[in-house]
Amino acid sequence: MLPRHFLRLAAALLLAPIVASAAPASGEPVWFGVSGPLTGQNAQYGAQWKAGFDLALDDINARGGIHGRPLAYTFEDSQSDPRQAVGLAQKFVNDKRIAIELGDFSSPASMAASPIYQRAGLVQLGFTNSHPDYTKGGDFIWSPSISQADSQPLLADLAIKTLGFKRVAVLFLNTDWGRTSRDVFVKAAEARGAQVVIAEGYQPDEKDFRSTLVRVRDANPDGLVLISYYPDGALIAGQVRNVGLKQPIAASGSVYSPKFIELGGAAVNGIYTNTAFFPEEPRAEVQTFVTRFKARYGKEPDAFNAYAYDAVQIAAAALIQAGPNADRTAVRDAFYKIKDVPSVVFGKANFDPQTRRVIGVKSVDLVVKDGKWALGDAKAAASVASAR
Amino acid sequence: MSFTSFFDYTVNGLIIGNIYAMLAVGLALIFGVSHLINFAHGSVYTVGAYIGWAAITFLHTPLPVTLLLVVLGSGALGMLIERVGLRPLQGAARIAPLLATIGISFVLDILVQLLASPDPRSLPSQLPNWRLQIGSGTIGALDLLIAGIGLASAALLFGFLRFTQLGWAVRATAQDRDAAQQMGVDVNRVNQSVFAIASALGGLSGLLVGMYYNNISPAMSFQATLKGVVATVVGGVGNVPGAIVGSMLLGLTESYGVAWFGTPYRNLFAFVLLLVILVWKPNGLFGRKRALPPEPLTGTFIAPSKPWHVPPWLLAGLFALAAVLPLFNPSPYLLQVLTNSWLYAALALSLTLVAGTIGQISLGHAGLLAIGAYASSLLVLDLHLPVGTSIIAAGLLTSLIGTALIFPAFRLRGHYVSIATLGIGEIVALTILNWESLTRGPIGVSGIPPLSLFGRDASSNNAFYWASLAAMVLLALLQWRLLRSHLGRTFRAVREDEVAARAYGVSPDRYKAMAFGFGGFAAGVSGAFTAHLYSYINHETFTSQISILALTMVILGGLGNISGALLGAVALVSLPEFFRVTAEYRMLIYGVALLLLIRFRPQGLLGTV
Repeated sequence: MLPRHFLRLAAALLLAPIVASAAPASGEPVWFGVSGPLTGQNAQYGAQWKAGFDLALDDINARGGIHGRPLAYTFEDSQSDPRQAVGLAQKFVNDKRIAIELGDFSSPASMAASPIYQRAGLVQLGFTNSHPDYTKGGDFIWSPSISQADSQPLLADLAIKTLGFKRVAVLFLNTDWGRTSRDVFVKAAEARGAQVVIAEGYQPDEKDFRSTLVRVRDANPDGLVLISYYPDGALIAGQVRNVGLKQPIAASGSVYSPKFIELGGAAVNGIYTNTAFFPEEPRAEVQTFVTRFKARYGKEPDAFNAYAYDAVQIAAAALIQAGPNADRTAVRDAFYKIKDVPSVVFGKANFDPQTRRVIGVKSVDLVVKDGKWALGDAKAAASVASAR
Repeated sequence: MSFTSFFDYTVNGLIIGNIYAMLAVGLALIFGVSHLINFAHGSVYTVGAYIGWAAITFLHTPLPVTLLLVVLGSGALGMLIERVGLRPLQGAARIAPLLATIGISFVLDILVQLLASPDPRSLPSQLPNWRLQIGSGTIGALDLLIAGIGLASAALLFGFLRFTQLGWAVRATAQDRDAAQQMGVDVNRVNQSVFAIASALGGLSGLLVGMYYNNISPAMSFQATLKGVVATVVGGVGNVPGAIVGSMLLGLTESYGVAWFGTPYRNLFAFVLLLVILVWKPNGLFGRKRALPPEPLTGTFIAPSKPWHVPPWLLAGLFALAAVLPLFNPSPYLLQVLTNSWLYAALALSLTLVAGTIGQISLGHAGLLAIGAYASSLLVLDLHLPVGTSIIAAGLLTSLIGTALIFPAFRLRGHYVSIATLGIGEIVALTILNWESLTRGPIGVSGIPPLSLFGRDASSNNAFYWASLAAMVLLALLQWRLLRSHLGRTFRAVREDEVAARAYGVSPDRYKAMAFGFGGFAAGVSGAFTAHLYSYINHETFTSQISILALTMVILGGLGNISGALLGAVALVSLPEFFRVTAEYRMLIYGVALLLLIRFRPQGLLGTV
């Protein structure tokens, strides 16, 4: 008797949190449309988005969805090509089921579609679009991407205050993102008393960096800063030592990915970064996300998975705020009202109503140690600084 | 620059040249025999890298076995490409096999992406990890292996071509295909062997380069083709030792370009080198002077096909249908796809005139779009011109700048024209990237005002649709009128036989300039419309993929055929949209559809005019 009773009690206790929350969503779904690359040069990022979206949907729909209705999405391949993105924009705008649009990946594609979303009055949530002019497209154009104006000064803190660089060499991806980041970083670095001795922009499809690195070497820096994504960041790291450079390296948070270590091998050991997303961070949002991601996909999530996951969470928060059966204008208005949306990247996401971007960013300092990402501890950093 | 640095830059240039050489040798070999620039070569390179990756990951093969598997696998792929993509097109238009290789490359890239995921993968080197100090840098075992394989394969090829019977057959076929066949050479077998050898080399270089960078991805093939082609052409197409020297020269130019002007200028220098060499030596550095002049790609050797004349009443009916369509309240999506088609049709009109009627196959037409788009945007934003006027002005500017850019290349013939225009297209994009004071560099031009005409807003879906349709139809009518005049005949005369045309007192340069002038106007107008549609453009908006797409439209419709160009544009803009239901397979289906069309209608849907 007793054991059975005990078991029942235990079961009740275990189930309590689930029963307490809303019943799983059912009925006609609430849709969001995604315009992004599933084929072509940027296809890998579209695949990462999908993983993040699906996980977020499970989460949201188990919690009761959008006022009882499940959230669902339709992902259309744009190849990050502006021509296809404008076609898709018309498709989504005309599809009455679509309540919000997410994407596109690159600024040329996203910003080409913006006028169509703005005119038709459908919110475009460009969650990887950090171009400073992106949200100037109108009051339906929002972005929860990390603002470079916020995050590059943190990188400058890491490079100059923590690691003690005085003569900095910057290598940056020569795109709208990399160029904007470089401009902010250079200003922040100089404000912190360092000197940027050389800044070299490279093309996204570049693979050979030896000559660039000789140029960097001749500028005689005492530290390198990479404003890169993980594939190109790993390529640069792999060639740095081959041209006889031994300076410490700090990279922007966008290199954070298990892939960075896979592609960079031993060469990325000792590289510092500060990222808004780190799976071992103890915060509850991060830990829930990471555990569930690993359970579902059997691998570590990376930054783009996290951005996609967050974007859906933010979209869902806005849809819930807008109320049941809200129209598109009500959804737009909800973005002005949502506050402290739990977020993997931001902790709590809050939009600035003026810029329609998420304000502030927190970050963790990381370092690659023995082929693994680890929290960058201040003592190790100090020894790097004094070793020179 | 100190001597140490100069030495380091030189070593780096040779290292990268070494890598280009492996690609260039294969391309040169194929060109030597089949007079074909094999655009699928970069894809074979990618497939080779992935075969190696699969062998190491799943079969845990040691290096020699991996190399062997890659050589066999890519060699077999080369034979397959020859058998499926090229042999059936013998005797068809010269241009058809070129388009076939583009289609094959498309299909291969998508297949790799579907099978191996688009994410870049690491490909750890299986070689010992020792490094040799050279100057202030080091080189590793892989550098030496790549150089060794490059040189050894060149030497082997040289011996093969000079001393073996099959080698003689290859050279005989290269010199004169028909004569070789009359002498009993099995030309198909020769072609197949050459494709096998070249592709085996291509796959091998993919594997080694992948190991070198510890990075392979399905997206790596286009750059490989591009750089390989440039290196080959610099050396003189069809010349194996020339290809090696050309690669080294290309590597060194890039390295010194970085040294003197900085990393963003790297590719700019590579393409300027290409143009300078072509203008100075139109057959490349080591092209034989006494060789037959390269034949035009269109014209003389085109399979005489009877073009299908679309009756005027049908065209008028279709136009009327298109014009009244918005009144029936169709979905904005359909309207947008058609609007995009009209804009691409204007581009295709321009290219069909240049490539079809006067026979200058251009692979750089995206550059003209970019010039038109930037011209109109900057005229409006910086000089406050009204939007409609700016579009006309952009067309005129594109016409002027485009013709001036291409002018030095007028003395080139055949494939060299395509490669020169490819280079010019890249130079335009890289100039846009680097000329920041004018173009705002990578940040791009944002806030481009929407379309307005005669002071009235024309940004609504319907208005934009009508405006782009009207512009396209006007350009088409103008071009039709032009081709019915003596100009049309003269253009074709230049295409068919430049020497004969000159003998009749026609100055080919003047007529080429006229064709590029008119074509530049049409492309510029198309680009300008696009800019006002997108509201934001940067150097990545008009990629070289668009040039290839435009050429595909034109060949598919039938070279020189105005209705064909329109049909090609509508078909190739709509098909990928049409195949959306097949999700991630849509580009694969699109590629296969393209290959089938080339296979069964090599002269184009409506035939060459």
